[in-house]
Amino acid sequence: MTMVDWRVGWASKIAVGLSAAAMLAAPAHAQFAESTVIVPDSAIPRAGAHFEGAWKIAKPQTSLQPAGSIPFTREGRKHYEENKAYRAKGDYDDYDIYTSRCSNPGVPRLGLTSLRFKIWQQQGVLTFVYEWNRAMRQIDMRGVDTPPLDAPTMAGHSIGRWDGATLVATTTDISERTLLDDLVPHTADAKVTERFRLADHDTLEDRITIEDPAYFTHPWDAVITYKRQPDALFPEDVCLDRLKSYDAAMAGK
Amino acid sequence: MQFRIDPSAWQARLLLAVASQLAFCDSALAQFPHPPPSPAQQIVNGLRPSAPLDNRQSTPLTGDAPMPSDDPHDLSGTWMHTDDLIFRNVRDMYALMTPFTEAGAKALARRVNSKSPFINASAICRPPGQFFQLDLNFPFHIFQSKNWMEWVFEEYHGVWNVILDPSAAPAPKEKSYMGRSEGHWEGDTLVVETKDFAHDFWIDANGAPASASAKLTYRIRKVNPGDHNPYLQVLITIDDPTYYTRPWTLARRYHWRPNRVIMNEYNCEEQIGDPSVKSDAGLIPEPKG
Repeated sequence: MTMVDWRVGWASKIAVGLSAAAMLAAPAHAQFAESTVIVPDSAIPRAGAHFEGAWKIAKPQTSLQPAGSIPFTREGRKHYEENKAYRAKGDYDDYDIYTSRCSNPGVPRLGLTSLRFKIWQQQGVLTFVYEWNRAMRQIDMRGVDTPPLDAPTMAGHSIGRWDGATLVATTTDISERTLLDDLVPHTADAKVTERFRLADHDTLEDRITIEDPAYFTHPWDAVITYKRQPDALFPEDVCLDRLKSYDAAMAGK
Repeated sequence: MQFRIDPSAWQARLLLAVASQLAFCDSALAQFPHPPPSPAQQIVNGLRPSAPLDNRQSTPLTGDAPMPSDDPHDLSGTWMHTDDLIFRNVRDMYALMTPFTEAGAKALARRVNSKSPFINASAICRPPGQFFQLDLNFPFHIFQSKNWMEWVFEEYHGVWNVILDPSAAPAPKEKSYMGRSEGHWEGDTLVVETKDFAHDFWIDANGAPASASAKLTYRIRKVNPGDHNPYLQVLITIDDPTYYTRPWTLARRYHWRPNRVIMNEYNCEEQIGDPSVKSDAGLIPEPKG
Protein backbone atom coordinates (compact mmCIF):
# COMPACT_ATOMS: atom_id res chain seq x y z
CA MET A 1 0.00 0.00 0.00
CA THR A 2 1.38 3.38 -0.95
CA MET A 3 1.11 5.56 2.08
CA VAL A 4 0.73 9.03 0.69
CA ASP A 5 0.11 11.39 3.53
CA TRP A 6 -2.98 13.46 2.74
CA ARG A 7 -1.61 16.19 4.95
CA VAL A 8 0.98 17.05 2.33
CA GLY A 9 -1.66 18.27 -0.03
CA TRP A 10 -3.73 19.62 2.80
CA ALA A 11 -0.92 21.74 4.14
CA SER A 12 -0.33 23.43 0.84
CA LYS A 13 -4.00 23.95 0.29
CA ILE A 14 -4.61 25.60 3.59
CA ALA A 15 -1.83 27.99 2.77
CA VAL A 16 -3.53 28.81 -0.49
CA GLY A 17 -7.02 28.96 0.84
CA LEU A 18 -6.34 31.14 3.78
CA SER A 19 -3.35 33.21 2.88
CA ALA A 20 -4.65 34.21 -0.51
CA ALA A 21 -7.73 35.38 1.28
CA ALA A 22 -5.98 37.08 4.09
CA MET A 23 -2.80 38.24 2.38
CA LEU A 24 -0.69 36.49 4.97
CA ALA A 25 1.81 35.09 2.49
CA ALA A 26 2.04 36.78 -0.83
CA PRO A 27 3.17 34.02 -3.20
CA ALA A 28 0.63 31.52 -1.92
CA HIS A 29 -0.93 30.51 -5.18
CA ALA A 30 2.44 29.73 -6.72
CA GLN A 31 2.33 26.57 -4.64
CA PHE A 32 0.18 24.92 -7.27
CA ALA A 33 2.53 24.03 -10.10
CA GLU A 34 1.19 25.23 -13.41
CA SER A 35 0.29 22.49 -15.85
CA THR A 36 2.23 22.76 -19.08
CA VAL A 37 0.13 20.20 -20.93
CA ILE A 38 -1.41 21.68 -24.07
CA VAL A 39 -3.19 19.32 -26.42
CA PRO A 40 -3.97 20.49 -29.97
CA ASP A 41 -7.58 20.14 -31.03
CA SER A 42 -6.51 17.75 -33.77
CA ALA A 43 -4.98 15.37 -31.22
CA ILE A 44 -8.03 15.18 -28.96
CA PRO A 45 -9.89 11.89 -29.54
CA ARG A 46 -13.32 12.34 -31.02
CA ALA A 47 -16.09 12.04 -28.46
CA GLY A 48 -18.02 8.78 -28.67
CA ALA A 49 -21.12 10.33 -27.14
CA HIS A 50 -22.42 13.60 -25.84
CA PHE A 51 -23.43 13.69 -22.21
CA GLU A 52 -23.82 17.45 -21.91
CA GLY A 53 -26.84 18.63 -20.00
CA ALA A 54 -28.33 18.70 -16.53
CA TRP A 55 -28.77 15.40 -14.70
CA LYS A 56 -30.06 14.12 -11.38
CA ILE A 57 -29.81 10.79 -9.66
CA ALA A 58 -32.86 8.74 -10.66
CA LYS A 59 -33.50 7.29 -7.23
CA PRO A 60 -32.06 9.06 -4.19
CA GLN A 61 -29.61 6.81 -2.40
CA THR A 62 -26.75 7.35 -0.01
CA SER A 63 -24.94 4.05 -0.51
CA LEU A 64 -23.57 2.34 -3.59
CA GLN A 65 -25.83 -0.73 -3.26
CA PRO A 66 -23.83 -3.44 -5.03
CA ALA A 67 -25.73 -6.52 -6.20
CA GLY A 68 -24.08 -8.69 -3.55
CA SER A 69 -22.29 -7.99 -0.34
CA ILE A 70 -19.15 -5.88 -0.32
CA PRO A 71 -16.10 -8.19 -0.28
CA PHE A 72 -14.27 -6.61 2.61
CA THR A 73 -10.88 -7.78 3.71
CA ARG A 74 -10.44 -8.02 7.47
CA GLU A 75 -8.86 -4.58 7.54
CA GLY A 76 -11.57 -3.11 5.35
CA ARG A 77 -14.32 -4.63 7.49
CA LYS A 78 -12.69 -3.28 10.64
CA HIS A 79 -12.62 0.25 9.23
CA TYR A 80 -16.21 -0.07 8.01
CA GLU A 81 -17.41 -1.17 11.43
CA GLU A 82 -15.59 1.74 13.03
CA ASN A 83 -17.41 4.09 10.71
CA LYS A 84 -20.73 2.54 11.69
CA ALA A 85 -19.88 3.06 15.35
CA TYR A 86 -18.97 6.69 14.75
CA ARG A 87 -22.23 7.22 12.92
CA ALA A 88 -24.22 5.63 15.72
CA LYS A 89 -22.65 8.14 18.12
CA GLY A 90 -23.10 11.06 15.73
CA ASP A 91 -19.33 11.61 15.56
CA TYR A 92 -19.37 12.46 11.88
CA ASP A 93 -16.13 14.41 11.84
CA ASP A 94 -14.28 11.26 12.84
CA TYR A 95 -15.13 9.49 9.61
CA ASP A 96 -17.20 11.63 7.23
CA ILE A 97 -16.05 15.22 6.67
CA TYR A 98 -18.48 15.57 3.78
CA THR A 99 -21.26 15.51 6.34
CA SER A 100 -19.48 17.38 9.12
CA ARG A 101 -17.55 19.99 7.11
CA CYS A 102 -19.06 20.12 3.61
CA SER A 103 -15.80 18.76 2.21
CA ASN A 104 -15.92 17.53 -1.38
CA PRO A 105 -17.25 13.96 -1.09
CA GLY A 106 -14.94 12.74 -3.82
CA VAL A 107 -15.29 10.00 -6.41
CA PRO A 108 -17.57 8.10 -6.65
CA ARG A 109 -19.65 9.62 -3.81
CA LEU A 110 -20.18 12.90 -5.69
CA GLY A 111 -22.43 10.82 -7.92
CA LEU A 112 -24.68 10.09 -4.96
CA THR A 113 -25.47 13.72 -4.15
CA SER A 114 -29.19 14.24 -4.37
CA LEU A 115 -29.16 17.56 -6.20
CA ARG A 116 -28.61 18.11 -9.91
CA PHE A 117 -25.33 18.34 -11.76
CA LYS A 118 -24.26 19.49 -15.19
CA ILE A 119 -21.84 17.91 -17.58
CA TRP A 120 -19.89 20.03 -20.02
CA GLN A 121 -17.68 18.58 -22.75
CA GLN A 122 -15.11 21.10 -23.82
CA GLN A 123 -11.47 20.96 -24.89
CA GLY A 124 -11.40 17.18 -24.50
CA VAL A 125 -12.42 17.35 -20.87
CA LEU A 126 -15.68 16.41 -19.18
CA THR A 127 -16.41 18.85 -16.40
CA PHE A 128 -19.08 17.93 -13.87
CA VAL A 129 -20.44 20.93 -11.98
CA TYR A 130 -22.63 19.90 -9.06
CA GLU A 131 -25.47 21.91 -7.64
CA TRP A 132 -24.42 20.73 -4.18
CA ASN A 133 -21.96 23.31 -2.89
CA ARG A 134 -20.75 24.10 -6.45
CA ALA A 135 -18.53 21.02 -6.30
CA MET A 136 -16.65 19.98 -9.39
CA ARG A 137 -14.85 17.02 -10.89
CA GLN A 138 -13.24 16.57 -14.27
CA ILE A 139 -12.37 13.64 -16.50
CA ASP A 140 -9.44 14.19 -18.83
CA MET A 141 -10.30 12.69 -22.23
CA ARG A 142 -7.46 14.30 -24.16
CA GLY A 143 -5.58 11.07 -24.59
CA VAL A 144 -2.30 12.29 -23.15
CA ASP A 145 -0.20 11.22 -20.25
CA THR A 146 -0.47 13.68 -17.43
CA PRO A 147 1.68 13.53 -14.32
CA PRO A 148 0.15 11.99 -11.19
CA LEU A 149 -1.01 14.29 -8.47
CA ASP A 150 1.55 15.40 -5.90
CA ALA A 151 -0.84 14.18 -3.23
CA PRO A 152 -4.31 12.63 -3.26
CA THR A 153 -7.29 14.93 -3.60
CA MET A 154 -10.93 14.33 -2.85
CA ALA A 155 -11.97 13.88 -6.48
CA GLY A 156 -8.68 12.26 -7.42
CA HIS A 157 -7.11 12.05 -10.84
CA SER A 158 -9.55 10.92 -13.54
CA ILE A 159 -8.38 9.83 -16.96
CA GLY A 160 -10.87 8.64 -19.53
CA ARG A 161 -11.14 7.12 -22.98
CA TRP A 162 -13.97 6.35 -25.34
CA ASP A 163 -14.96 2.72 -25.86
CA GLY A 164 -17.45 3.32 -28.64
CA ALA A 165 -20.24 5.34 -27.07
CA THR A 166 -19.13 4.44 -23.55
CA LEU A 167 -16.82 6.66 -21.58
CA VAL A 168 -14.42 4.63 -19.47
CA ALA A 169 -12.85 6.68 -16.69
CA THR A 170 -10.23 5.54 -14.23
CA THR A 171 -9.76 7.54 -11.08
CA THR A 172 -6.80 7.18 -8.73
CA ASP A 173 -5.13 9.35 -6.09
CA ILE A 174 -8.37 9.64 -4.18
CA SER A 175 -7.82 10.87 -0.65
CA GLU A 176 -8.66 8.33 2.02
CA ARG A 177 -10.37 11.24 3.75
CA THR A 178 -13.33 10.48 1.51
CA LEU A 179 -15.69 7.55 1.63
CA LEU A 180 -16.93 5.56 -1.32
CA ASP A 181 -20.46 6.18 -0.09
CA ASP A 182 -21.93 7.10 3.28
CA LEU A 183 -19.97 4.43 5.15
CA VAL A 184 -17.60 2.40 3.00
CA PRO A 185 -13.95 3.41 3.43
CA HIS A 186 -11.05 3.01 1.04
CA THR A 187 -7.31 3.50 1.03
CA ALA A 188 -5.29 5.96 -1.03
CA ASP A 189 -4.57 3.08 -3.41
CA ALA A 190 -8.19 2.67 -4.46
CA LYS A 191 -8.95 2.63 -8.16
CA VAL A 192 -12.41 3.56 -9.35
CA THR A 193 -13.37 2.62 -12.88
CA GLU A 194 -16.54 4.14 -14.27
CA ARG A 195 -18.30 3.26 -17.48
CA PHE A 196 -20.71 6.04 -18.45
CA ARG A 197 -23.21 5.47 -21.23
CA LEU A 198 -26.53 6.81 -22.38
CA ALA A 199 -29.09 4.06 -21.85
CA ASP A 200 -31.40 6.35 -23.77
CA HIS A 201 -31.42 10.07 -24.52
CA ASP A 202 -32.66 10.94 -21.06
CA THR A 203 -30.92 8.26 -19.01
CA LEU A 204 -27.25 8.25 -18.09
CA GLU A 205 -25.80 5.14 -16.50
CA ASP A 206 -22.60 5.03 -14.48
CA ARG A 207 -21.37 1.47 -13.92
CA ILE A 208 -18.74 1.64 -11.20
CA THR A 209 -16.02 -0.87 -10.35
CA ILE A 210 -14.07 -0.51 -7.12
CA GLU A 211 -10.60 -1.99 -6.69
CA ASP A 212 -8.64 -1.63 -3.47
CA PRO A 213 -6.81 -4.80 -2.45
CA ALA A 214 -6.12 -3.60 1.08
CA TYR A 215 -9.82 -3.27 1.82
CA PHE A 216 -11.58 -5.56 -0.70
CA THR A 217 -10.75 -9.12 -1.61
CA HIS A 218 -11.78 -8.58 -5.23
CA PRO A 219 -13.23 -5.82 -7.42
CA TRP A 220 -16.92 -5.09 -6.89
CA ASP A 221 -19.52 -3.19 -8.90
CA ALA A 222 -22.37 -0.80 -8.41
CA VAL A 223 -24.58 1.12 -10.84
CA ILE A 224 -25.98 4.63 -10.49
CA THR A 225 -28.58 5.92 -12.93
CA TYR A 226 -29.31 9.54 -13.69
CA LYS A 227 -32.23 11.20 -15.43
CA ARG A 228 -31.90 14.20 -17.69
CA GLN A 229 -33.27 17.42 -16.21
CA PRO A 230 -34.55 20.59 -17.86
CA ASP A 231 -31.70 22.97 -18.47
CA ALA A 232 -31.63 25.55 -15.71
CA LEU A 233 -29.27 27.70 -13.73
CA PHE A 234 -28.56 26.21 -10.36
CA PRO A 235 -29.15 28.47 -7.37
CA GLU A 236 -26.04 29.33 -5.37
CA ASP A 237 -25.54 26.60 -2.80
CA VAL A 238 -23.20 27.22 0.13
CA CYS A 239 -23.12 24.11 2.26
CA LEU A 240 -21.23 25.77 5.09
CA ASP A 241 -24.11 28.16 5.62
CA ARG A 242 -26.26 25.18 6.44
CA LEU A 243 -23.81 24.16 9.15
CA LYS A 244 -23.32 27.56 10.69
CA SER A 245 -24.53 30.98 9.74
CA TYR A 246 -22.48 33.49 7.83
CA ASP A 247 -22.79 36.04 10.62
CA ALA A 248 -21.46 33.61 13.20
CA ALA A 249 -18.56 32.67 10.95
CA MET A 250 -17.68 36.32 10.34
CA ALA A 251 -17.69 36.81 14.09
CA GLY A 252 -15.15 34.02 14.42
CA LYS A 253 -17.59 31.59 16.02
CA MET B 1 -10.81 68.43 -13.17
CA GLN B 2 -12.71 65.26 -13.74
CA PHE B 3 -11.64 62.95 -16.54
CA ARG B 4 -14.64 61.84 -18.50
CA ILE B 5 -14.06 59.34 -21.27
CA ASP B 6 -16.97 57.45 -22.71
CA PRO B 7 -16.28 53.84 -21.65
CA SER B 8 -18.26 52.60 -24.62
CA ALA B 9 -15.59 53.94 -26.97
CA TRP B 10 -13.25 51.04 -27.52
CA GLN B 11 -10.39 53.02 -28.92
CA ALA B 12 -10.35 55.10 -25.81
CA ARG B 13 -10.57 52.01 -23.69
CA LEU B 14 -7.58 50.44 -25.34
CA LEU B 15 -5.54 53.46 -24.42
CA LEU B 16 -6.95 53.36 -20.94
CA ALA B 17 -6.16 49.70 -20.53
CA VAL B 18 -2.57 50.52 -21.30
CA ALA B 19 -2.73 53.35 -18.82
CA SER B 20 -4.00 50.97 -16.17
CA GLN B 21 -1.00 48.76 -16.68
CA LEU B 22 1.14 51.76 -15.93
CA ALA B 23 -1.00 53.05 -13.15
CA PHE B 24 1.69 52.61 -10.59
CA CYS B 25 4.41 54.33 -12.57
CA ASP B 26 5.14 57.91 -11.69
CA SER B 27 5.74 58.74 -15.32
CA ALA B 28 2.26 57.61 -16.19
CA LEU B 29 0.71 59.53 -13.37
CA ALA B 30 2.50 62.65 -14.46
CA GLN B 31 0.60 62.60 -17.74
CA PHE B 32 -2.70 63.25 -16.03
CA PRO B 33 -3.83 66.43 -14.37
CA HIS B 34 -4.90 65.12 -11.01
CA PRO B 35 -7.25 66.88 -8.67
CA PRO B 36 -6.00 67.29 -5.13
CA PRO B 37 -6.88 64.29 -2.94
CA SER B 38 -10.03 64.53 -0.91
CA PRO B 39 -9.82 64.05 2.86
CA ALA B 40 -10.92 60.45 2.32
CA GLN B 41 -8.23 59.90 -0.30
CA GLN B 42 -5.65 61.40 2.03
CA ILE B 43 -6.51 58.68 4.53
CA VAL B 44 -5.80 56.09 1.83
CA ASN B 45 -2.60 57.84 0.73
CA GLY B 46 -1.33 57.64 4.28
CA LEU B 47 -1.57 53.86 4.48
CA ARG B 48 1.53 51.72 4.30
CA PRO B 49 2.28 50.82 0.70
CA SER B 50 0.99 47.70 -1.00
CA ALA B 51 3.02 46.43 -3.94
CA PRO B 52 1.45 44.40 -6.73
CA LEU B 53 2.24 40.70 -6.71
CA ASP B 54 4.20 39.44 -9.69
CA ASN B 55 2.74 35.98 -9.79
CA ARG B 56 2.45 35.48 -13.48
CA GLN B 57 2.68 31.98 -14.82
CA SER B 58 3.52 31.97 -18.44
CA THR B 59 3.59 28.59 -20.09
CA PRO B 60 4.00 29.65 -23.72
CA LEU B 61 1.23 28.58 -26.06
CA THR B 62 2.54 26.34 -28.80
CA GLY B 63 1.66 27.05 -32.40
CA ASP B 64 -0.85 24.23 -32.46
CA ALA B 65 -2.44 25.10 -29.12
CA PRO B 66 -6.23 25.23 -29.15
CA MET B 67 -7.51 28.74 -29.67
CA PRO B 68 -10.82 30.30 -28.63
CA SER B 69 -13.68 30.51 -31.09
CA ASP B 70 -13.46 33.17 -33.78
CA ASP B 71 -17.03 34.13 -32.89
CA PRO B 72 -16.74 37.26 -30.74
CA HIS B 73 -19.95 36.28 -28.96
CA ASP B 74 -18.54 32.94 -27.90
CA LEU B 75 -16.36 33.38 -24.83
CA SER B 76 -16.19 29.72 -23.89
CA GLY B 77 -12.90 28.21 -22.82
CA THR B 78 -10.28 28.56 -20.10
CA TRP B 79 -9.01 31.96 -19.04
CA MET B 80 -6.91 33.38 -16.24
CA HIS B 81 -5.72 36.67 -14.84
CA THR B 82 -2.03 36.52 -15.65
CA ASP B 83 -1.07 40.13 -15.03
CA ASP B 84 0.25 41.27 -11.68
CA LEU B 85 -2.18 40.94 -8.83
CA ILE B 86 -2.98 44.33 -7.38
CA PHE B 87 -3.75 43.92 -3.71
CA ARG B 88 -5.06 47.42 -3.23
CA ASN B 89 -6.88 49.29 -5.98
CA VAL B 90 -6.12 52.89 -5.08
CA ARG B 91 -6.31 54.14 -8.66
CA ASP B 92 -8.82 53.53 -11.40
CA MET B 93 -8.03 52.73 -14.99
CA TYR B 94 -7.59 56.40 -15.72
CA ALA B 95 -4.87 56.47 -13.03
CA LEU B 96 -7.12 58.73 -10.99
CA MET B 97 -7.39 58.08 -7.30
CA THR B 98 -10.15 55.75 -6.30
CA PRO B 99 -13.03 58.01 -5.19
CA PHE B 100 -13.46 56.70 -1.68
CA THR B 101 -16.07 58.21 0.55
CA GLU B 102 -14.97 58.79 4.11
CA ALA B 103 -16.66 55.52 5.05
CA GLY B 104 -14.85 53.71 2.26
CA ALA B 105 -11.45 55.11 3.17
CA LYS B 106 -11.95 54.31 6.83
CA ALA B 107 -13.03 50.75 6.05
CA LEU B 108 -9.92 50.19 3.94
CA ALA B 109 -7.68 51.86 6.52
CA ARG B 110 -9.16 49.73 9.29
CA ARG B 111 -8.39 46.58 7.32
CA VAL B 112 -4.87 47.60 6.27
CA ASN B 113 -3.87 48.91 9.70
CA SER B 114 -5.15 45.98 11.72
CA LYS B 115 -2.35 43.95 13.27
CA SER B 116 -4.31 40.79 12.51
CA PRO B 117 -6.20 40.41 9.24
CA PHE B 118 -9.96 40.46 9.47
CA ILE B 119 -12.22 37.58 8.66
CA ASN B 120 -13.79 38.03 5.26
CA ALA B 121 -15.89 35.86 2.99
CA SER B 122 -12.99 34.13 1.30
CA ALA B 123 -11.30 33.41 4.61
CA ILE B 124 -14.34 31.50 5.79
CA CYS B 125 -14.64 29.65 2.50
CA ARG B 126 -17.65 31.58 1.24
CA PRO B 127 -17.97 32.94 -2.32
CA PRO B 128 -16.04 36.24 -2.25
CA GLY B 129 -17.73 37.85 -5.25
CA GLN B 130 -16.86 37.56 -8.87
CA PHE B 131 -14.39 40.44 -9.05
CA PHE B 132 -12.27 39.04 -6.23
CA GLN B 133 -12.41 35.62 -7.87
CA LEU B 134 -11.50 36.97 -11.28
CA ASP B 135 -8.63 39.01 -9.93
CA LEU B 136 -6.67 36.29 -8.16
CA ASN B 137 -4.39 34.38 -10.48
CA PHE B 138 -6.42 31.21 -10.77
CA PRO B 139 -8.01 29.82 -13.93
CA PHE B 140 -11.70 29.76 -14.73
CA HIS B 141 -13.84 28.15 -17.39
CA ILE B 142 -16.64 29.79 -19.30
CA PHE B 143 -19.39 27.44 -20.36
CA GLN B 144 -21.85 29.13 -22.64
CA SER B 145 -25.33 28.36 -23.86
CA LYS B 146 -28.12 30.35 -25.43
CA ASN B 147 -29.69 31.66 -22.25
CA TRP B 148 -26.71 32.08 -19.97
CA MET B 149 -23.00 31.73 -19.34
CA GLU B 150 -21.58 29.81 -16.42
CA TRP B 151 -18.17 30.96 -15.24
CA VAL B 152 -16.64 28.18 -13.14
CA PHE B 153 -13.64 29.14 -11.03
CA GLU B 154 -10.90 26.97 -9.63
CA GLU B 155 -10.63 28.94 -6.41
CA TYR B 156 -13.46 28.52 -3.92
CA HIS B 157 -15.05 26.31 -6.60
CA GLY B 158 -16.97 29.47 -7.38
CA VAL B 159 -19.66 29.79 -10.00
CA TRP B 160 -20.75 33.04 -11.62
CA ASN B 161 -23.93 32.80 -13.64
CA VAL B 162 -24.40 35.47 -16.29
CA ILE B 163 -27.99 35.45 -17.51
CA LEU B 164 -28.46 36.40 -21.13
CA ASP B 165 -32.22 35.83 -21.21
CA PRO B 166 -33.77 36.95 -17.91
CA SER B 167 -37.09 35.36 -18.83
CA ALA B 168 -35.35 31.98 -18.74
CA ALA B 169 -33.95 32.52 -15.26
CA PRO B 170 -36.41 34.22 -12.90
CA ALA B 171 -34.89 36.03 -9.95
CA PRO B 172 -34.47 33.73 -6.94
CA LYS B 173 -36.26 34.46 -3.69
CA GLU B 174 -33.00 34.96 -1.83
CA LYS B 175 -30.03 37.12 -2.66
CA SER B 176 -26.68 35.43 -3.09
CA TYR B 177 -23.00 36.03 -2.42
CA MET B 178 -22.37 36.45 -6.14
CA GLY B 179 -25.40 38.64 -6.75
CA ARG B 180 -27.58 38.45 -9.82
CA SER B 181 -25.93 39.14 -13.15
CA GLU B 182 -27.76 39.94 -16.35
CA GLY B 183 -25.86 40.48 -19.57
CA HIS B 184 -26.55 41.69 -23.08
CA TRP B 185 -24.45 42.26 -26.15
CA GLU B 186 -23.58 45.74 -27.37
CA GLY B 187 -21.87 44.91 -30.62
CA ASP B 188 -19.09 42.54 -29.68
CA THR B 189 -19.04 43.65 -26.06
CA LEU B 190 -20.89 41.71 -23.41
CA VAL B 191 -22.26 44.14 -20.84
CA VAL B 192 -23.07 42.48 -17.52
CA GLU B 193 -24.79 44.25 -14.66
CA THR B 194 -24.46 42.60 -11.27
CA LYS B 195 -26.42 43.58 -8.16
CA ASP B 196 -28.55 42.09 -5.37
CA PHE B 197 -25.68 40.83 -3.26
CA ALA B 198 -26.55 39.07 -0.01
CA HIS B 199 -23.67 40.62 1.91
CA ASP B 200 -21.10 43.38 1.80
CA PHE B 201 -17.91 42.13 0.19
CA TRP B 202 -14.29 42.96 -0.51
CA ILE B 203 -13.22 44.16 -3.93
CA ASP B 204 -9.58 43.30 -3.46
CA ALA B 205 -7.31 41.43 -1.10
CA ASN B 206 -6.53 44.50 1.00
CA GLY B 207 -10.22 45.02 1.61
CA ALA B 208 -11.48 47.87 -0.56
CA PRO B 209 -15.12 47.69 0.47
CA ALA B 210 -18.30 47.17 -1.47
CA SER B 211 -21.75 47.17 0.02
CA ALA B 212 -24.49 44.66 -0.65
CA SER B 213 -26.30 47.38 -2.58
CA ALA B 214 -23.38 47.95 -4.96
CA LYS B 215 -23.91 47.62 -8.69
CA LEU B 216 -21.01 46.31 -10.75
CA THR B 217 -20.96 46.62 -14.51
CA TYR B 218 -18.62 44.43 -16.52
CA ARG B 219 -17.87 45.27 -20.15
CA ILE B 220 -16.27 42.16 -21.60
CA ARG B 221 -14.88 41.52 -25.02
CA LYS B 222 -12.55 39.00 -26.57
CA VAL B 223 -9.35 40.40 -28.03
CA ASN B 224 -7.00 38.54 -30.31
CA PRO B 225 -4.05 40.80 -31.05
CA GLY B 226 -2.61 38.27 -33.50
CA ASP B 227 0.28 37.21 -31.30
CA HIS B 228 -1.23 33.84 -30.41
CA ASN B 229 -2.08 35.23 -27.00
CA PRO B 230 -5.78 36.14 -26.95
CA TYR B 231 -7.45 37.54 -23.88
CA LEU B 232 -10.67 38.84 -22.45
CA GLN B 233 -10.56 42.55 -21.85
CA VAL B 234 -12.84 43.50 -18.99
CA LEU B 235 -13.73 46.93 -17.71
CA ILE B 236 -15.34 46.77 -14.28
CA THR B 237 -17.31 49.77 -13.08
CA ILE B 238 -18.13 49.90 -9.38
CA ASP B 239 -21.17 51.97 -8.51
CA ASP B 240 -21.54 52.03 -4.75
CA PRO B 241 -22.43 55.37 -3.16
CA THR B 242 -21.92 53.91 0.29
CA TYR B 243 -18.19 53.70 -0.22
CA TYR B 244 -17.38 55.68 -3.39
CA THR B 245 -18.35 59.22 -4.35
CA ARG B 246 -18.91 58.26 -7.99
CA PRO B 247 -18.74 55.19 -10.21
CA TRP B 248 -15.16 54.21 -10.99
CA THR B 249 -13.68 51.71 -13.38
CA LEU B 250 -10.87 49.17 -13.37
CA ALA B 251 -9.42 47.39 -16.40
CA ARG B 252 -8.26 43.80 -16.43
CA ARG B 253 -7.07 41.19 -18.92
CA TYR B 254 -7.71 37.46 -18.63
CA HIS B 255 -5.57 35.44 -20.97
CA TRP B 256 -6.41 32.25 -22.83
CA ARG B 257 -4.93 29.32 -20.88
CA PRO B 258 -5.65 25.96 -22.52
CA ASN B 259 -2.96 24.41 -20.31
CA ARG B 260 -5.19 25.03 -17.29
CA VAL B 261 -8.25 23.22 -18.60
CA ILE B 262 -7.78 20.65 -15.83
CA MET B 263 -8.23 22.66 -12.68
CA ASN B 264 -6.73 21.97 -9.28
CA GLU B 265 -9.09 20.96 -6.55
CA TYR B 266 -9.90 23.72 -4.09
CA ASN B 267 -11.45 22.21 -0.98
CA CYS B 268 -11.28 24.93 1.64
CA GLU B 269 -14.21 23.39 3.54
CA GLU B 270 -11.96 20.59 4.75
CA GLN B 271 -9.57 23.06 6.32
CA ILE B 272 -12.10 25.47 7.76
CA GLY B 273 -13.79 22.74 9.74
CA ASP B 274 -10.69 20.98 10.99
CA PRO B 275 -10.83 21.00 14.80
CA SER B 276 -7.17 19.97 15.08
CA VAL B 277 -5.75 23.23 13.75
CA LYS B 278 -6.39 26.89 14.24
CA SER B 279 -8.52 27.12 11.17
CA ASP B 280 -8.95 30.89 11.30
CA ALA B 281 -5.20 31.26 10.53
CA GLY B 282 -5.00 34.11 13.00
CA LEU B 283 -7.78 36.17 11.45
CA ILE B 284 -10.01 38.12 13.78
CA PRO B 285 -13.57 39.42 13.46
CA GLU B 286 -13.79 42.91 12.02
CA PRO B 287 -15.14 45.49 14.44
CA LYS B 288 -18.31 47.25 13.35
CA GLY B 289 -18.17 50.78 12.01
